[in-house]
Parts: sequence; C-alpha cells; structure tokens
Amino acid sequence: MKKLIAILLALLMALALVACGGGSSEGTTPGGNGGEGGNSGEGGNSGEGGKANDNGLIRVWVGEESAEFYQKVCDEYIAAHSDFGYKIEVKGMDTGSVAGTITNDPAAAADIYTVAHDNIGKLAATQCAKPITAEALVNQVTADNPASFQGVIYSTLDGTKYLYGVPYISQALFLYYNKAYVTEEQVKTFEGLQEAAKAAGCKAITVTGDDGFNMSFALLATRVSDHATTVKIYEGAESVSGGSKGESNCQGDDTVAIYRWLQAYAADPNGFKWASPDGWNADLRNNGVVAVIGGAWHYNAAKAAVGETNLGITLIPTFKLTAEAVEGLSGVAAGDEYRGGTFADCKCFMINAHSEPSKYAKEQELIMYLASKEIQNRSYLECMNVPAYVGAADFIKQCFEEGKVSESEYNLAASQVSMAEWGIPQPFITGTLNTYYYSKNAPAVLRAIVDQTKYPTTGDTILEETTSVAGIRKALYLVEYLWMHGVTPKEFPANLPDKA
Amino acid sequence: MSNLLRPKKFKSQARNRRISLGITYAVLVLMSIIWLIPLLWIILSAFRCDYQADGTFIGTVTSYFFPHHFGLKNFADLFSGTYYAVPNAFPRWMLNTLIIAVIDCVISTFLVLSVAYCMSKLRFKLRKPFMNASMIIGLFPGFMSMIAIYFLLKSIGLTGNPDHPEYSIIGLILAYSAGAGLGFQIAKGFFDVIPNALVESAKLDGCTNFKIFIRIILPLAKPIIIYQALMSFTGPWMDFIFAKVIIGPANPEYWTVSVGLYSMLFGTYADVNLFTQFAAGCVIVAIPIVTLFMFLQKYYVEGVTAGAVKG
Amino acid sequence: MAKKDKRKADRAGFFQKIRNGFSYFVKRFRDGSVGTKLSHLIFGAGNFYHKQYIKGAIFLLLQVAIILFMVLCPSINGTPYGYKALLNLPLKNVTKGGFDPATGAMTASSNCQLMILFGFVTIAVIFIYFILWHKSIESSYKADMDKKIGLKPTTFKEDVKALFDQKFHITMLTPTCIAALVFTVLPTIFMISLAFTTYNQQDMNEANTNLFAWNGIQNFRAVFTGEGSLGFEIKNRFLPVLGWTFIWAIFATFTCYFGGIILALLINKKGLKGKKIFRTVFIMTIAIPQFISLLAVRNLFGEYGPLNSLLMNLGWTSQPIGFLGQKPTDSELLAKIMVIIINMWVGIPYTMLMTSGILMNIPADLYEAARVDGASTTKMFFKITLPYVIFITTPYLISSFVGNINSFNTIFLLTGGGPAYQGYQAGGTDLLVTWLYKVTIDQGSYNTGAVIGIFTFVITATITLVTYRRSKAYNEEDTFQ
Repeated sequence: MKKLIAILLALLMALALVACGGGSSEGTTPGGNGGEGGNSGEGGNSGEGGKANDNGLIRVWVGEESAEFYQKVCDEYIAAHSDFGYKIEVKGMDTGSVAGTITNDPAAAADIYTVAHDNIGKLAATQCAKPITAEALVNQVTADNPASFQGVIYSTLDGTKYLYGVPYISQALFLYYNKAYVTEEQVKTFEGLQEAAKAAGCKAITVTGDDGFNMSFALLATRVSDHATTVKIYEGAESVSGGSKGESNCQGDDTVAIYRWLQAYAADPNGFKWASPDGWNADLRNNGVVAVIGGAWHYNAAKAAVGETNLGITLIPTFKLTAEAVEGLSGVAAGDEYRGGTFADCKCFMINAHSEPSKYAKEQELIMYLASKEIQNRSYLECMNVPAYVGAADFIKQCFEEGKVSESEYNLAASQVSMAEWGIPQPFITGTLNTYYYSKNAPAVLRAIVDQTKYPTTGDTILEETTSVAGIRKALYLVEYLWMHGVTPKEFPANLPDKA
Repeated sequence: MSNLLRPKKFKSQARNRRISLGITYAVLVLMSIIWLIPLLWIILSAFRCDYQADGTFIGTVTSYFFPHHFGLKNFADLFSGTYYAVPNAFPRWMLNTLIIAVIDCVISTFLVLSVAYCMSKLRFKLRKPFMNASMIIGLFPGFMSMIAIYFLLKSIGLTGNPDHPEYSIIGLILAYSAGAGLGFQIAKGFFDVIPNALVESAKLDGCTNFKIFIRIILPLAKPIIIYQALMSFTGPWMDFIFAKVIIGPANPEYWTVSVGLYSMLFGTYADVNLFTQFAAGCVIVAIPIVTLFMFLQKYYVEGVTAGAVKG
Repeated sequence: MAKKDKRKADRAGFFQKIRNGFSYFVKRFRDGSVGTKLSHLIFGAGNFYHKQYIKGAIFLLLQVAIILFMVLCPSINGTPYGYKALLNLPLKNVTKGGFDPATGAMTASSNCQLMILFGFVTIAVIFIYFILWHKSIESSYKADMDKKIGLKPTTFKEDVKALFDQKFHITMLTPTCIAALVFTVLPTIFMISLAFTTYNQQDMNEANTNLFAWNGIQNFRAVFTGEGSLGFEIKNRFLPVLGWTFIWAIFATFTCYFGGIILALLINKKGLKGKKIFRTVFIMTIAIPQFISLLAVRNLFGEYGPLNSLLMNLGWTSQPIGFLGQKPTDSELLAKIMVIIINMWVGIPYTMLMTSGILMNIPADLYEAARVDGASTTKMFFKITLPYVIFITTPYLISSFVGNINSFNTIFLLTGGGPAYQGYQAGGTDLLVTWLYKVTIDQGSYNTGAVIGIFTFVITATITLVTYRRSKAYNEEDTFQ
C-alpha cells in the first residue's frame, strides 16, 4: 500500500510542474512545486523496505587486515552447518575509525562488528550495541578469558549488567628495533638504545603515534624489581550504573620522576622523538630512529621499513632513573630500574543494536564460533592476530617449536604476551568515563610534558609550564582529574598531595 | 639631427629588448622548473623501483629525489592490488569515478545552462530574488550541509543502505549535480554577451523561448558548454572529502578514485609502504584530466576570463 | 536623511503590499465563481468547474497526496514524517531504547537528528501545500476572468505549450529549485538549527546518551563565558583563527593576483617564443587535482623529504626543519609563511590565464595614443595596462577573496591546520573552514560547528554584500547588455 502511494507521489511530482506552471497567471515562484512531495514519497518507499525485514544476510565487520581470513572461516562454517540459514558477508574496516563510523550511523553498520574494548562503553551507552545473553557464549567468554579482560567487557543497560564484547584478539605495545644498529644487549635498556643511536647518528626510539594508547609506554611504566607503580585508574570501581568511580592517581613521585627522565631523554640528540608527520615507518626506514614502540598491527609496515632480516622484536626496554630525575622526590631513588608499560587491550566482537531480533540467536552462535580458541589460533597463524584467551602463550610457543611460524612472528606474539603482563587493560566503568582521557586532551597534556611546552588548563587560556617538578605534577594532576571528572579543574590545589 | 640619431637609438633599443627578453626567458624557465618539481616528484616516485639490501621493496617517501632504479612495479601492484579488502580496487574506483563524472557532467551542464539562460535572457518577477538567494546560499560553507545531505540521502535509501550499497553512487551523483544550477554566474556572463537583438528578432519570427534556447543560444554557447562540462567532469576526480562522507567508509568498493588514493596515505594503510603506489595512481588519474585540459585549453581560458570579468 | 526616508517608504510599501495582497484574497473569494469558492477547500474544484479536467485532477491528486502524507506519517528508521514529525520537532517526547533479553529485540532510542530533519521537511511540505492552494484558486479565478471577457479558459494543451514559451523559465528553473531546496536549502537550515541544540557527540558520549535537546541561545552565550567544551574551544580560538583567516585571505588573494599579472605580462611579452609551452606548463598545475599536487609538495617538505635532506647534507641545519607545522613544537610563523608561498604555486597560474585573456583584449588604440604622446613602456604599463586589468578584474578580486576565506584544500592538505594547539581542535594555521571540518566531521561536535559556520557566514556575507552591492557589476547587471 505504502509503496503504491510512493509511486503515485513520484508521478505527481512530475505532474505538479505542469499544473503549477500552467495554472499561474504571471511570473510564479520558480521553485517549490511538489519537490518535497516527491521526496517524501520515495521516503515512504524505503521506509517500507527498511527495518522489519530480515534479509537473510549477516554482515560482519572486522579489521581490514584479516577480512579475507574471516570470510573464509565463515564460509567454512556455513558449509558445515547447513541449517545456519544465513549468508555471511565479511568486510574489512579501519580499526582506528570504525567506532566513530558506527556511532555516526549505527543503522548502516554491520550486524556484527569488532572494536577495541575501550569503545564498548561508548557503543553500549549510545545504544549502538546489543547485549549478549546466550548462556553458552557467556560461559565461553568466562571460561576462556583472563580476569583483566572480563573486567572491561561488561556494561549496564537499565541497571542490568550485560556482556557486550567477546574478546578475540589481544593487543599490547612492544618494541620493534633495527638489528643493523642495535645489539641484543643494547636493546634491553633505553640507555643501550641511546648508545646505539649515537653510533648511528640518529634518535633512539619513537612511538607510532601520540594518542592515548601509545602514551601508556611512559605513563604505565613499572618498577622492574616489584612491578610497582603508583598509577591507579578507576581502581576498585564498580561497573554498574551509579557505581563508584574508584580511585585514580597519576601524580605519584615515581610518575613525576619517570616524566622528568623522559624529558631529558627526549631532549638528548640520541634519545626519544615523536613519530614523523610522514609516519613512524618513515623514521624507521630513513634511519631516523633505531627502535619503535608499536603493536602487532604495525608488523607488516615495520617489516617493509627495515626488511625482515633486520627487524628485531622484543619487550619495551628498561631505564634507570637518573639523579636529576629524582631530585627533590621521595619514594624513588636514582638508579631505580623501570620498564616501559602498556595498555593491554583486546579487540571484541559486538552485536549491532540495529540488527534484526530474528538474527540475534544466530549472531551469537556465529560469534561463539569466531571467538573460539580454534579460530583464534588459526587467525594467529594466518593473520598474526595474537589470541586473547588464557594460555595462548603455550600455543604460540608450540607453533614456533613445530616450525609453523617464523622467528620474528614468534617473537612478536611472545613479546606481546609478556608485555601484557607489564600492563593493564584500559579501564572503563559504567559506559564512557574512559573516553574523557581521549576526548578531553589528556594525551595532549602528556605530550606537552615530554615536549616541555605549555598547555591550556581551564576555560581561560591559562598556560602552565612543564619544566619544573611542580609543573609536571600539576600537569599529571590534570590528567588524573580529567580521568575522574571529565572536566578541567576550576583551580589547582595549592599543595598537590602525593596520594601514594 | 633627429635623422642622425635615430639609427643609434634603434640599436640600443634593440639591445635593450634582447637583454630584457633574455631575462624574461630566464625567469620563465626558472618558474617553470619550480612549478614542475612537485609533478616531477610524483612521476619519479611512480616509476621508482628501489629495493633494500635484503630485497624489501621501498614504497615510502625517500629523502632522495631521483630514484636509483626505474620500473613499472608500482603500476602493476596498483592494478592488481587489494585495498580495504576490495580485490582490484583501483580499476573499480576508476570505473566508479568515470560513471559518476559522466553523469554528473551531463546533469550539471544542463542545469547550469538552463538557469543561466533564464537569468540572462528571460525577465520574470522573481529573477532578482533568485539571483540574490543563490548568492547568499553560496556563501554558506559547504561542509555545514554535508552531514545533513548524508541523512537526507540515507532517508531515501541512496546511501548507507545495507541492502543496496551500490545506490550510494546515485546518491553521490545527486549530491554533486543538485547544487550545480546555483553556480550559473559564469555561464550567465557568457550569455549576457550574446546580443539581445538576436533573441528579439527570433521572437518576432514567432519562435518560442524553448526554440530560441535550442536553436539560437545553444549553438552559440559551445565554448561555455565545453567549459562547464569540463569543470563538472573533472570535479569528481578532484574531490576527496564530499565523496568520502556521502559514500562512507563502510563501502570502499564504491569509493571514487580520489577517496581511495587519499586513504592510501591517511588510512590504516598509511602505515604501509604505499607512497609509490599512491604516486602511480596519481599519474593514472592525472593523465586523462591533463589531456582534457590541454585539448580544451582554449575553452577553459575563455570560461576563466568570462568568470573573472563577471565575478 | 534621504536614506532614512527611503527606508520609511520601503516599510510603508511593504505593509501596503500585505494589505493589497489580503484584499486581493478577499476580492477573489467574493467575486469568484462557485468553482473558485470551492477551490478554497478542494484543490482543482474550479478547474473541474471550468472543464479543465486534467489540470483539476493534478491539483486534486497533489492535495490528496499531501494530506495522506501528513496523516499517514510514513516513517524511516522509526522516525515519522507528517504531523507526527511536527509533534516531534520540539524534541520533548524522546525515548531511550530498551532491551528484551528473551527475544533479543532492542527498541531504538529516538533519533533526534532525523526528528529535526523530518520536522523541517514536513514544514516545507506544508509550505508547498499553501502555495498549491493559492495556485489552485488563482488558476480557477483566472479562468473566471477569461470567461468574463469572453475568452475560453485555457486548455491543458495550451498550458503545456505555455511552459515552453512565456513560462519557459518555470520549466527551466524547476529542476534546479527542487534540487537546491532539497540538497542545499534544507540541509543548511538543518545545520544552522543545530547551533541551538546540545548535539555534540563528545558531550553525549560522556553523558551516556544518544539523545540531545534544544537549548536556545546557550551555545552563543557559552562563546562569551567559555563554558563547556564548545565555549572553551570557541572562546579561546575564534579570534586567533579569524585573524589568521583574514591575513591568509589578504595575502593569498594579492600574492596570487599580482604574481599572476606579472607572469601573464612575462609570457605575453612581445617577441617571446614558446608562449604556448610556458602556458601549458602552468595550466598543467591547474589540471592536476590538488590533493595530488599538494600532497606531493607536502612530502617534498616532509621531515625525511628531499628538501630537508638537502639542507642537512649542505650542513645548513642539523635537525630537519618542520616547514609545515605538522608537529606541535614546529614554528607557527614558518608554517604560515610556507602555506602562503605554496599557495602562490597553486593560484598564480589561474590568475595568469585570466589576465592573459584580458591583456590581449586591451584596445590597441589606447597604446597607440600613448605612444604618440611619447610615453615609455613602464609608464604605459602603470598608466594603461595595470589600471585596465584591475578595473576589469575587480569582481574577480572580491570573489577570490571570499574564495580564499573558504579555501580548504591548501591548508587541509599541507599543514592539516598545524602546529596543533594542545587541548584545542583549531591549530595555528587552521582557517575557519578547516576548523569547521575538524569540529564536525572529525569530532562530531555539530553544535560547535554550526556556531562557527554561522559566524563564518556572517563575515563572508557582510564582505560580499558590502563590496558586491556597491560594484558596477551588480548595479548595472541589467543594463550591461
């Protein structure tokens, strides 16, 4: 019926022109006849075909580097389960921007999509994602995944806590380095890298970007002797709506000392540099640096930059706090050894809230298969996606021993798994608090500390310096405050307490 | 006296002219070189075929200007390459863009000519208000309406349509050509120069306005038709923002070539060694456009000049 | 004084017009035939009365269609058109979605963007309804009048014929008007309206919601108080960005303008050979898409680009120079100078082409006369050539100034707006329009973008109207021919 109306309206649009033009006695409004009628008519048409019908197709978005692989395993699944009843179409998306694409227009997004877990809160809160309730799947997630991941894949809807994301890839930072310039001994410490860089006449190390994820290499650095750091992010928070935010702390003496050390390291002609605007791989390729802190998804680019034989992969090195860095700070001593840290994240499958309810059961069935250990293992072998489940390290080792992967591929997975032990997953509670860290420019403040430049703090352009201990502590306090409150503080406490 | 002096003056004048001509040549050659360097850089990069010591291909920006080895590898890779999980993406993007450009060219040129004719040769009540309105609308930054156009197109299923992603090409054509009619000023300036007497005498002969348009104005308007067609045909090859917003990141197989090339440098692929393939793509895209411009240079200049005089 | 009087007269004339229009409506209703009277209620009734069946049917169908549209409220993605869209427009009765674990059904939240958009579309439809209403009555009334003086009401065939002759402009302009209404006017109104809402993806994410609401002129107030993310960004960055936009527009316009004239003079110099080759070289840079040529330039100037490596090999600098402000620590002044210089590369060929044409059209007798008077070449240039070219191209200067205010590609592709100001979207070389892009497309802060857009519009519109309305081209537009 509606379709008929739509066609009629479209016809009328054409006729309107004749009627109106002919009907007027003299110069008329040149436009405005029936255009809208036609438009809305077509609108009615697509409204008809839009939502309610189940088109027999489940669309899946994964990272573009592994789209082909997942299409293959999905086809296999359909072949093995003739009763599945749906066709599956897998598409590769840019991992960095996919969450934004989904929030902009969730109705146009795929039925199942994958994002880094720190987007779960945002997608759940803006109702782009649907909770996962199938018992078998929830049990599989609980059985397979480390507790750290399980703390960050739930969110609440109407006061009920639901599972939203199913982890299938783990992600953490580690180190790529150029074996042509760096020895295996040198790569263990930042100081060693510096030495190698001096010999090569370039900078020692860079990161792949200055976003919040990459910033974790310094912010989350921990003492080697006891894995200790005073940094706390939402510690003890309750992941239900109205739950407490827990405690956060970014301005411990150790963090201040680490940033003072990094300032000196960055100022050194053979120390740290930010990635080139031409891309971090330009730094690596043009011998601008001898090492890069990056993730598994940078593997191909790093390989292309220095060649497979020259590409070394290992843990983020350690560094010793200098006497200048700890001057005037308590709780840290010159010579204390720290290792660069990382956010240990996971990528998750999620279900689109706009997906038809009739597909719901099958979608969960499919996710259960795609996130199973078996497929995670295959995705490691074929796409270098490091599995997220507990005990993946054993499988990775076994593959190497059986000669299924090359040495650098093994190093990559092994380094990442080890680094994950030195890091924490990016926390988020009750939705979106963690987005403050990104959207309110906390990473920019952290960069300003390293660059020793000024940064704005409150609504008025008060620029704070970052060269003194007090200045750094103030900047770190700002980061902490952003994390907790999502706004810049009205004023700074006169004497910043050291909560540690 | 003057007779005596004249030859000498001529001589010095001639010498002066030679010197000034020489300087002009030098300046022009220097400027031409400056203007050509970026283009040369792209072409050289497109044909670059350098490898690292261990046999890894160098596809990034390099610090040296002239490649060490030349080859067609970048072009071969570009045409057979899979980008954004779309096999043979580049030829597809080229085809998409060609389709969009041809249709947009026809629709836009028609709209522009019809509006320009009305504004120039017909007199009616709302003529002046229409002209003012079109000018004012043109002053709003186009980005402001981009998102709204996306939603409008989406609401009639012409983009972001999960069942028919190919419709987004129609949506993009609509978005490109819909506003074209408002850019009638240059064509109007051209029509203004066609003497009104021609139109008047045709009217006395009993010609309708329709016939005047078809039989008298259009044949005289060849330069401006070609200019408009050239402009609207090349538009889709050059735009990389609008197309990306309208078609969306989810449908890389329906991107235009400029969106595709741009995202080679600024997507996740920015990580990978794609600069030389980007350059190869640029050369492929630039060849037809530059050729068109070269052949239609005369008309282009005519249009530009008309635009300058009429604002 | 005279101006004031004129305005007064204008205002009086305006009210008079309304009064006249109103009395015309009354007169039309009083004097019209039964058909005309009936047309006030049923479209096309008058046409049926005058036996213009086809036309009457069209009017009637249109009326029925619009009424059906208003009553049935066709909906897209759960957001309705029609009267429901009008009820939705205040964004009062919005609902947050829910979830039913048993069926997996998720009721979607209200879609506020579509509610506003569809509300406006519906208002446009109502507006069209009234235009049709007027046209329908008018059509019937005209037939009445024709009858009165003994003429036959026009037949459908005649009406169609008229569309190709005396009403040809309607046929020709309708497609553009419809397209402009749907794809330009409506979207623009929609985006302007967002300046009065809380539609800011960042804020909404933090508030755990995908709903937003109208908030009056609060956004504009926030610009002055600096409150919220919108106020923070605009209050601290608007004036610097505006100032730079003007400096940029002035420099970009005049460097390219005079550079182009000089280049044109050089190329068109008497006795110069290879004019065509030189011109072709420069046209080539116009023909190549800017995203290609500007990205090439950007890579040439990049940290590891050939230029920096050359400078370092020569020992002129030990560290790569950040020419294009892509790092927050790069020099802002250098980046600004670089974009202006590189923009000359983009703009000069264009002016050159344009002025070449004009130079060739300068009446030769002007020079003849000057030569007879014994004027030198330099003098002739400054007394004849330059004034002539400038006189002819004044409208172009204005439009190119406005064009430069809205120049997107050069800045976006070269510097990306950098060097970044930590904590803000707008960097050191951002123009209003690139800022707008970052804020809306990158950040989804639509209300901030709309406020910036409105400011930009007010500025460009003022400049254009003030200069353009005074120009000869506008005032003598009609008489020129």
